[in-house]
Amino acid sequence: MIPRGVRYALSGISWPLYALLYTPLALVAYYSFAPAPNEAGHSLHAYNVLLHDGAAFTALRRSLILAIGSAITSTALGTLLGYGLCRFRSPNAKGVLAHLPSLIIYTPIIMPSLVFGISELIFFNLVHNATGFLSAGLETMIIAHITFQVPYVALTVYARLAGLDPYLFDAANDLYANGLKSFLYLIIPVVQPAIIGGFLLGITLSIDDFTISFFTAGPGSVTLPIYIYGAIARKGISPEINALGTLMIGTIITLALVHFFITRHRDRAGQFAARGNIT
Amino acid sequence: MSASASPAAAAAAPSPKRGAISIRGITRIFAGSVPAVDHVDLEIHAGEFFTLLGPSGCGKTTLLRMIAGFETPDEGKILISGRDMEDVPAHKRAVNTVFQSYALFPHLNVEQNIGFGLRMKGVKTPERKKRVDAIMEMLQIGQFATRSAAQLSGGQRQRVALARALVNEPEVVLLDEPLSALDAKLRNELQIELLRMQKRLGMTFIFVTHDQHEALVMSDRIGVMSKGKLEQVGPVLDVYEKPKNVFVAEFLGLSNIWPITSSGAHSAASPIGELSIDAPLNGANMAMIRPEKIWIYNDTAAPKDRANLFFGTVREAIYMGAATQYRIELAGGHSVLAFDTNNQATERSWRPGEKVAVELKPDNIMLISP
Repeated sequence: MIPRGVRYALSGISWPLYALLYTPLALVAYYSFAPAPNEAGHSLHAYNVLLHDGAAFTALRRSLILAIGSAITSTALGTLLGYGLCRFRSPNAKGVLAHLPSLIIYTPIIMPSLVFGISELIFFNLVHNATGFLSAGLETMIIAHITFQVPYVALTVYARLAGLDPYLFDAANDLYANGLKSFLYLIIPVVQPAIIGGFLLGITLSIDDFTISFFTAGPGSVTLPIYIYGAIARKGISPEINALGTLMIGTIITLALVHFFITRHRDRAGQFAARGNIT
Repeated sequence: MSASASPAAAAAAPSPKRGAISIRGITRIFAGSVPAVDHVDLEIHAGEFFTLLGPSGCGKTTLLRMIAGFETPDEGKILISGRDMEDVPAHKRAVNTVFQSYALFPHLNVEQNIGFGLRMKGVKTPERKKRVDAIMEMLQIGQFATRSAAQLSGGQRQRVALARALVNEPEVVLLDEPLSALDAKLRNELQIELLRMQKRLGMTFIFVTHDQHEALVMSDRIGVMSKGKLEQVGPVLDVYEKPKNVFVAEFLGLSNIWPITSSGAHSAASPIGELSIDAPLNGANMAMIRPEKIWIYNDTAAPKDRANLFFGTVREAIYMGAATQYRIELAGGHSVLAFDTNNQATERSWRPGEKVAVELKPDNIMLISP
């Protein structure tokens, strides 16, 4: 039992923390409603300017293509990887070997994105110089984004599968399902929430990413974060940038809420089931 | 719903051996350890209720998993209905398993769980629904058809797991400690139900358990396993009454076991004294008698002319309801365990400190090996 005093102190600390986390976001939103030039009072002027900024929209469209394209691919690959890691664990492996698969997955996650981005850049340059393929541009960015998203998806899927009764796989096998049928009729439906979660996480990571995109982008493939960076570098933080930031915050919060409600729905079903089990 | 009613099944194995299993020299060694199953030979007859009994880690589950096809034997052959299973993967064997954890699919409801096997085999919806409904009716779980597995109690899950195996009309049903997670009352109910189901469907049931009581109640025959080897195989009565060795004798119940050295055709010296034994001694060096085979008398009323009559004092009396278990210390200091049914008024049972005589009838003494 935590003493009451400590509990009050902890909740006292938590509120300033929340303030620290969310005030900057609120400020961005606030400044996006800045008054139009030579006028007073709040306005939607910045949004209007943004709406007519062709370059921003091109960047947004490119970001979305990049995010959705890489998230779909990495979800498929990550699901397979997570499944493989769980299903074909070697029961007799010892020491480093036993942890090799998770080391392989975790390394890209803990790797600083700066290192990751530079190594991708060097790699693509090498391939391009040797073969002529993969000149820097949207396709190299998609490949780079797939690479850094796959571990996240694999981890979510792996965590879900590792929490299952291992005899489920035997049971499917026992009931006339071969490997492919087990995958389609047992694994996919059971890990579906994890797959959706991994996909949404992938999109978020991709839209958010600056460093890796920056190193792998070509001259004609400016994405939204790169565009924002360029705009700030040129003329400082303008109301349009704030408006863009506000729209992105709104989108991300919406996605997070969707994810929350999907998983909460599942959890509630599970809780109900658990209660039914006790009686 | 007899097994022969299924056209597919009749075509697969017209011979009377349908459901018989031959296990020949099966060995399974997990890397870097002692064999889990060590050169086991076993014939399981078609349509019998066979129990593999043994302590945890004795290899009984590994043997079961090799019959199902989840484990590959390192040596030996398994024949199901006369057919070598070497190249037949688990999903092609006419064998279905009831798992200890039930392993019901969490994303499917009861009906879909039961129908899973038929769906994978490509049985079309109307036929599938008919068979699923029939088996749910038989196991009285129809009212849960649309519930998810997580919403069921332990006993209901057990029934669903059983239905999911039986609905496929397999040649053999494998049951891996299916009742061990249930409370005593429910376990007794389901034991009876399982037996009734097995007799009605005529399928071969192979049941794995570490509970000797369960094995005795349910089985036609028992195979007792220890450390990867089959110690004894036989009808329930034989295994209990005439155990081959000390392990089997002790695993199936309480027993009095003494080393003996023969001193005549039907007599042997033992730590408690000279014993008359009906069975031919043939150089045996261990004797065993079950506690319930020992007769207890008041020392004054003992029939002194009988063979194997020993005098002693009651040291412990453990009341167990229907019977009382006594530990009687004999004159030489050795103790004998004896059961006596409480068929008298309670005042007339023996109490610690009372002088008694015990009679070990010569035909109740069994010879075993160490």
